[in-house]
Amino acid sequence: MPLAYISDYSWEDIVPIPQDDGGENPLAPIAYQDDYKTATGYLRAVMSVEEVSDRALQLTSDLIFMNPAHYSVWAYRARLLFALKKDLEQELIWIEEVGQQFPKNYQIWNHREVIVDKYDNPIRELPFIEVMLELDSKNYHVWSYRQWLVRRFDLWVTELPYTDRMIENDVRNNSAWNHRFFAVFGKGVDISQSVIDDEMDYAKRAILKAPQNESAWNYLLGVLKRGKRPISETEQFCNELAAVTTTERSVDVDIDRIASTRALEVLADIYASRREVEMAAQVWTLLAEKYDPIRENYWKFKKAQTSRGFMATA
Amino acid sequence: MTTELNTVHNEELPVVDSLITESSTTQDDVARMCAGLILDGQLAVLQHQLHADFLRIPMSFQLPPNYTGLDASKPWLMYWPLHALEILDPDNQTNDILSRIGPSIMACLNELEGAFGGGNGQTAHLAATYASLNTLAISRDEQLWSQIDRERLYKWLMSVKLPDGGFSMHVGGEEDVRAVYCALASAALLNIITPELMEGTAEWISRCQTYEGGIGGAPGNEAHGGYAFCGLAALCILGNPVEMIPKYLDVDSFVHWLSARQYQPEGGFSGRTNKLVDGCYSWWVGGCWSILEGALAWITSKDVLWSKADLQKYILFCCQSPRGGLRDKPGKSSDFYHSCYVLSGLSEVQHRYSFRPKMRDSKAGEWSFMWTSELESPDIVIIDEQNVVGPLNPVHVLPAGVGERMHDFYAALGTLEL
Repeated sequence: MPLAYISDYSWEDIVPIPQDDGGENPLAPIAYQDDYKTATGYLRAVMSVEEVSDRALQLTSDLIFMNPAHYSVWAYRARLLFALKKDLEQELIWIEEVGQQFPKNYQIWNHREVIVDKYDNPIRELPFIEVMLELDSKNYHVWSYRQWLVRRFDLWVTELPYTDRMIENDVRNNSAWNHRFFAVFGKGVDISQSVIDDEMDYAKRAILKAPQNESAWNYLLGVLKRGKRPISETEQFCNELAAVTTTERSVDVDIDRIASTRALEVLADIYASRREVEMAAQVWTLLAEKYDPIRENYWKFKKAQTSRGFMATA
Repeated sequence: MTTELNTVHNEELPVVDSLITESSTTQDDVARMCAGLILDGQLAVLQHQLHADFLRIPMSFQLPPNYTGLDASKPWLMYWPLHALEILDPDNQTNDILSRIGPSIMACLNELEGAFGGGNGQTAHLAATYASLNTLAISRDEQLWSQIDRERLYKWLMSVKLPDGGFSMHVGGEEDVRAVYCALASAALLNIITPELMEGTAEWISRCQTYEGGIGGAPGNEAHGGYAFCGLAALCILGNPVEMIPKYLDVDSFVHWLSARQYQPEGGFSGRTNKLVDGCYSWWVGGCWSILEGALAWITSKDVLWSKADLQKYILFCCQSPRGGLRDKPGKSSDFYHSCYVLSGLSEVQHRYSFRPKMRDSKAGEWSFMWTSELESPDIVIIDEQNVVGPLNPVHVLPAGVGERMHDFYAALGTLEL
């Protein structure tokens, strides 16, 4: 076996366990670098006897830098840190280095959760998350981790201003919008109608900046539903954004002034909720033929479903 | 070559925002790049041979050192290309490879824990177990199947089941809806589903549906195409999908969110609101459509709620790499993961799936093996003869008939005392 793996510790007493990919002609073999091959040989040997030692810990550090997706190494590392009673703050600093070197890696987040839970102190967390979201503002695992953190340490107060800032940077950052919904409703306490009003206003202001932005619309309608408000509350707002004028039974859209397709869609739902089926159908036809044609089948389905439902209950 | 085509939507949308942000800049770039590759009035040809050659790389050569990042995903490095090869050529060009599956997958078994890991000597892991069992299903090797210690695997599954109804990926690992799907799909193949294994799980999935209508990785997390598929498919294993889906999901808002995933002019699907199209969502999002259309009575047999012709356009024009294999989007390299899920997406474009329960009182663990398929009508999508790929099981993401055969094998052995 090539001895390319060098560490501060002696491995002379260890008989490395070679990787057995399964017989003479295995599928999907990888031509590893020598140091990785040697290091994983030691890993299999020490893991098989669950060795608890500083050299095993060092081995996990080295392997993580060679392959940060190696989840067995991360799990073993966590067991070692606790068994050896290591300084967990040092570990958090080390994870920060790994995170910045491998920003797409997600194994670090489960590991960090395990460590921070034990460390029982979130002091380093928000700044680190901030750095990672600067690298990728929609990193799914970072946002999920942030939710865990907020729940675990009851950090709800910082969250609304934080999502303000993120949404200010990019009003189309859906992860930030989702986090805002979590920040408002995730605690599971009763929400007053004035909070619902505030959040609806917040979403409406964002929509006015970019009226085609699905993230803000989804938020607006999500808040509305959560607040048990009727969808017709948004009618005036939608009329303006869709440049709609209605006469008794027909809907007219000014194609030069319409700013939002979603406003049009919401109007159709409002008409349908009032059983103004013909008007709703006109809007769905407009969406299918002119404003959102790739979803033609969906608009036609809505149309058919509503007229069926209307017939059934009429 | 030109064939009479169904309507596709290559033009820009009429209403566009003027505010520029990071999201809109990247979106505009991708839309422009895709539009540049899509030819009006034409169908591109699926490069069968080129893709097959690419997919055979892991069976013919040592993968280069830069694959070390997938060293903890060895069963996936077998499942992705093998499944894709079979979809590409249903007449089974993989026979020469099937006999090598046994030793290669069994090398990933963690004998101490009783389930599969990401490679030899690695910790047992739900995703690795799912990919291993799917690969074993593709082997069609009963001798091999009889070597699986199902009782121990069941015990391991119960050891990663959490009190809230979810599952963690491995002992001490992360809890998410992928883990739920992988656990249930594995248990269904092995016919070891029990009430204890399922307890609280449908309710947990239900909690993952977000205000947008899609499903997130865990309660509170952002709606995401991959997790949406995992949650929906898991419900189809837990019980009769006709009852389970409306019971545990708000179907209207789920359908609304799914519908918003298809972008014009690209034709492909994005995985989240305001993110870019990516070929892999051809399956994750498209698979959700297959399941919904096949299982829910309120969609009559003629309805397709999205544009199959546009997705086929995106796959054929934008996802084929000139060096072979399928990719995320133009400008990206092909890989085995994308090849698997883009081709699975093409399969679902070309087929119509139906849920056909054999009997009213089917048992838990049988529901996911009652799917049939037929070729899609040319009114919906023109399928050029050169572009045809095979059908699959839309819950297990396996070539049609393969998972069914493995499940039947274990069912015939009688009930395990678990």
